[in-house]
Amino acid sequence: MATSIAVSKRPILGLPFLLPCCEPVTLQLRRAQSTYRRTKQRLRIKPDASFGSSTDSTQAHIIYNPPSSAPSAYHTPLKFLPPNDVRRTLRTDTSSSSLNIDALPSVFKSVPEKKYHLTREDVEEIRKLRASDPLVWSRWKLAQRFNCSPLFIAQACEASPQKKEIQRQVLEAVQSRWGAKRRMAREDRELRKESWGRDE
Amino acid sequence: MKRLQLQRWSSSALSSRVRTGSRLHRQIYYSGARFQSTTSNSLQFEDDQSLAGQQPTPPSTNSPFPQFTKHQLPSPPIQAARESAKLAALHARLYLPSRLPLETLARCLVDTSADPNFQFNNNSLSVLGHDLLTNYASEHLVCTYPRLPLTVIFAAMYAYAGPKTLHAMSREWGVEHAAVPGGEVDPGLLQFKRVAPGTNLKEARPLVGTTRPNEDQTTWRKSITSSVVYDNVFGDPELAAPPPAELSDNVYPTNDGINSEPPVTAEVASANFVRAVVGAIYLHAGRQAAKRFFEQHFLSRQLDISKMFNFSQPARDLARLCARENYEAPVAKIISETGRRSRSPVFVVGVFSGRDKLGEGAGASLVEARSRAAVAALKGWYLYSPLEVRVPSAMEEDGAAPWKPVYVDLGEVIV
Repeated sequence: MATSIAVSKRPILGLPFLLPCCEPVTLQLRRAQSTYRRTKQRLRIKPDASFGSSTDSTQAHIIYNPPSSAPSAYHTPLKFLPPNDVRRTLRTDTSSSSLNIDALPSVFKSVPEKKYHLTREDVEEIRKLRASDPLVWSRWKLAQRFNCSPLFIAQACEASPQKKEIQRQVLEAVQSRWGAKRRMAREDRELRKESWGRDE
Repeated sequence: MKRLQLQRWSSSALSSRVRTGSRLHRQIYYSGARFQSTTSNSLQFEDDQSLAGQQPTPPSTNSPFPQFTKHQLPSPPIQAARESAKLAALHARLYLPSRLPLETLARCLVDTSADPNFQFNNNSLSVLGHDLLTNYASEHLVCTYPRLPLTVIFAAMYAYAGPKTLHAMSREWGVEHAAVPGGEVDPGLLQFKRVAPGTNLKEARPLVGTTRPNEDQTTWRKSITSSVVYDNVFGDPELAAPPPAELSDNVYPTNDGINSEPPVTAEVASANFVRAVVGAIYLHAGRQAAKRFFEQHFLSRQLDISKMFNFSQPARDLARLCARENYEAPVAKIISETGRRSRSPVFVVGVFSGRDKLGEGAGASLVEARSRAAVAALKGWYLYSPLEVRVPSAMEEDGAAPWKPVYVDLGEVIV
């Protein structure tokens, strides 16, 4: 039914040569044509070049046409081979030479440049501020003030136990409002993330 | 029939070994004290029975020792080995060398818990076999994959020569277990005293007296490097050998015939049996046969080492590795992607150092793909294998080529 509605919405009347004598026949015809296109025409793919035509090579030859798949972990990259390994001279890394590496987009939009601009006095100042009022001077605020990353603030100093306790209670209050679905989804996300490192 | 001199062979081979190994300590002291003992008991009688093979003794009609039936012996007598069909079938099934007699194979099947007499159980053979197995497995791993992290080496050692694997192998070999050990049992069955069902093994035997100092401190951090020094070949804590002074007091099993050895699980008994077979092949057929047996039965087992890794922060580790090896810092770039705005996108991300691709990974998000690419790059580093792998034990063959040093790596990435 959905198909017939979709068909009737199209401006068929503007194209009289498409208009058949009766509609159900049209639908069947169109269906048959799309099936043919899907199952026959579209599958007429030119074979891979490595298969070669029989006219090219009269002799027996090796067809190397591996399926597209993840590279094997046992295939050591060229850069990781020790300098005295024979494979360094034998192998030219075809996979990376075919790629135009400079044209590839980066995963991250901007890679932050490391500035190393904070001095010892600045770090002392960070520690003093965070110890003085941990509620006001959070990691984010300190990072904005000193123009560095929150990760650096965490490396420079640690929150007081009182602040950690407050944060833990806030987190518990938030998590207590989660239902079963959200909790399970979050746990699943963590499990999936752990499986990345095991390459599963 | 050719006379078998099992006692002389095994004791000479065992006592000529180095005595530094902790596991060996317990056994070496027996062979000496055995013949010094003057107590007459059932075990002494068995001993004379076995010695009768070496030196013809006068008929035992006027023997001072009482006559024992099969039912009073803790394990089958040596003469029963030639009559067992199961034993001969096992010998043939494993293609064991013909120089390995059925009597030794029968001894391999007697566990310490079944017969505490060390002249008749497989303990000495299994200690020798364990050392051979772990030696061959470790040299294969270290020479084939010189960059493996220690945790992976321990896990791979456990997979090659650990008790679970050996238990599975003895099942594959078709070794059946005797319900209760005894002298009347078919010697082709594995004989051990079973643990009572329902016993909690961890509660029953807390590991006390290991080689590790401060073992009572359970909360202390246990580094993987300390496992190399203190723990066994699988990275697990091991029981320390008692000092020789205590051994000499308690060399003999109890005289009253009551078996004081603790019962063992089927896994432990099967593992000891497989190790004992390797030790027996080494003693009877020589070093090359033992190594061939190891290659055919142990190394031939499929073990995918690339599945044994678990990285918690692969991108960070890869950055540290590149900094250590003076490569350019790794950069993640998108090689291809599809369906970015859809429900199931696929991103293929490569990690590049300079112009070289280190690894490639696919994932449903950019972060996942980058993480997987870093894992692939780290595995590519750790799973490096030289082209011609030659293990140190290959030098033991006749006419071996001069030794070339194997590749030694700096070690794993420490963050």
